[in-house]
Amino acid sequence: MTDATLNTGGDRPGTSLATQDARTKRRNRAEARFKAYGLTAILIGIFFLVVLAVSIIRSGSPAFTRTIVGVEFTITQPQIDAAEGELFKTKAYQTLFIDALKQQLDARGMEMKFDEDSIERLLGKVGSTLREYYQANPDQIGTPVSFELAASSRVDGYLNGRLTRDSVKDSRFLMAADLDLVDALQEADIVRSSFNWTFITGADSGVDNPGGAGIGASVVGSFFMMLVVLVLSLPIGVAASIYLEEFAPQNKFTDLIEVNISNLAAVPSIVFGILGLAVFIQFAHLPQSAPLVGGLVLTLMTLPTIIISTRASLRAVPPSIRDAALGVGASKMQSVFHHVLPLAMPGILTGTIIGLAQALGETAPLLLIGMVGFVARGYPDGVVSGFMDPNSAMPAQIYTWAARADPSFYEKAWGGIIVLLVFLLTMNIIAIILRRRFERRW
Amino acid sequence: MYDAPNLAENKVTQDKIKIAARKVQVYYGDTHAIKDVDVDILDNTVTAFIGPSGCGKSTFLRCINRMNDTIDICRVEGDILLDGQDIYDKRVDPVQLRAKVGMVFQKPNPFPKSIYDNVAYGPRIHGLARTKADLDEIVEKSLRRAALWNEAKDRLEQPGTGLSGGQQQRLCIARAVATAPEVLLMDEPCSALDPIATAQVEELIDELRQDYSVVIVTHSMQQAARVSQKTAFFHLGNLVEYGDTGTIFTNPEDERTESYITGRIG
Repeated sequence: MTDATLNTGGDRPGTSLATQDARTKRRNRAEARFKAYGLTAILIGIFFLVVLAVSIIRSGSPAFTRTIVGVEFTITQPQIDAAEGELFKTKAYQTLFIDALKQQLDARGMEMKFDEDSIERLLGKVGSTLREYYQANPDQIGTPVSFELAASSRVDGYLNGRLTRDSVKDSRFLMAADLDLVDALQEADIVRSSFNWTFITGADSGVDNPGGAGIGASVVGSFFMMLVVLVLSLPIGVAASIYLEEFAPQNKFTDLIEVNISNLAAVPSIVFGILGLAVFIQFAHLPQSAPLVGGLVLTLMTLPTIIISTRASLRAVPPSIRDAALGVGASKMQSVFHHVLPLAMPGILTGTIIGLAQALGETAPLLLIGMVGFVARGYPDGVVSGFMDPNSAMPAQIYTWAARADPSFYEKAWGGIIVLLVFLLTMNIIAIILRRRFERRW
Repeated sequence: MYDAPNLAENKVTQDKIKIAARKVQVYYGDTHAIKDVDVDILDNTVTAFIGPSGCGKSTFLRCINRMNDTIDICRVEGDILLDGQDIYDKRVDPVQLRAKVGMVFQKPNPFPKSIYDNVAYGPRIHGLARTKADLDEIVEKSLRRAALWNEAKDRLEQPGTGLSGGQQQRLCIARAVATAPEVLLMDEPCSALDPIATAQVEELIDELRQDYSVVIVTHSMQQAARVSQKTAFFHLGNLVEYGDTGTIFTNPEDERTESYITGRIG
């Protein structure tokens, strides 16, 4: 190009400033083109984000509701005595329930024929639920009690459109004829939707009970892991960065360390998983499936991210601040801890939150240390109590659900993703608030 | 080569030598940045270092409080004596030294903290104040010394970075004098300031001479002539000429000095 040559002739018009010469026009066009490219890129990004958000919310929201059958029900002492006298006691309670339900439908002028089996298919073992309730609350006998019984996940599926009358194949789980009853109950306002607390607070259920599956236990597991990661990786990472950036001499050895840290950040996470299996479980004999081990593995993964970003933000602190501190007679350590580190804190927090978010979404290493396919028994006692008890984590739980055959679990997987994203968002908001606080100090 | 001035014949002979440098060599890696510098800096005197860019005057200044220690590839040889004591002795802690030899930098660099904390930082880390009242007194005294008290007394809790450039530089001077140093090193303290702020700082330097030995690096020969009693001219790492400011500017011995002050080199 001849931009640099001082050729006053050529295509320079040299006349009016109001007319653009060819070169100016070309430059302006190039700039306009570039702006258009950038805008297009951002619009494409926004489009995909919206598609993602909509599809997640649409597929995941059914996991947060469940179908409830609400029946007001009164049982008298003689009825209890009679039922307790029977051979199949729960069966007797179930008969009482069916009678009550029939009466309520009759009262609304709807006559339905249904039998015990269809009730069992729709609502599960109603009789034992009732019997347990009255044994626990004998004072409720003789007074009206309104029961809210969870319908099976197939009823959920029918009501939210996942199953249709045509797609239902008669099986021991659901007959097409049962749907008539569901329709009638819905018309009678006995069937309704309510918020599914079990999904938020519960633990994973077995493969045959999608309705009882919850993500609560794995939220707790993930929380414990993040706690371990934060407590270990932040101090270790920051200490390593400060040493490397401010104190360590520049030589071959520190160069080697630096190269290795950068490489570690790019190591596939499953490698860390197998390392964790070999070192923490097989060598150090820590318990399998424990959030402590998961946290240790994720700490190894997060450290390089934190070290790299911390070093970058330490380097971004102007050297004049270090000079100023040293100039008034501060020691190296005082200059770092009184001046450099506080100035680098917002950057360090950003790096930490990126590292933690990465760790929170990591599934592969958890598969190798057994934090997957966990079904709680005796929830919540066996889960919430700590770092050493077997548990799962949110991404591993989502993976497990997505792998199961029953389509109800598919819904749960999407719902789990929503919970995971909410968790992530909360973490980010906390980081932003902390960063603001640090920034406000000067 | 420049000969060390015979102090017996100098006007300021009654003043005692504060800093004596003997055969100082500085290397940056393979580069020989300072060659064989001998100089005696007097107490209660303003000494100006002048010379073209890259001549080593700032490097030499930074040797006096061992700020060059922070640069890995920098190596200093020879002796620099502060009150007869070698500051490069192994037993000397550079942190203690820097409390005695304060420094003001080219660019105003207040800490991103309040004005009060900027000045109080040095006394705090050196334990110069036992009570809050002591500290308040030191802060006020230092700000008065730096001619900043009247402007800053009502806004001590506001950030030092919010001051104007000239005020920031005076804040840095207040911060440097707060640790009660004996020597004050100034590396082109006015290069980022406007003429009015420069005049204020120069006036201040003249006052500071009552209590300190002041060494100032400057690119402005007018400034050197205005504020200093002694002037040293550096060129290509050599100390070419050192003597009374009046003599250097009116009757230089060395041809290179004359060329520089008349604007032919530099």
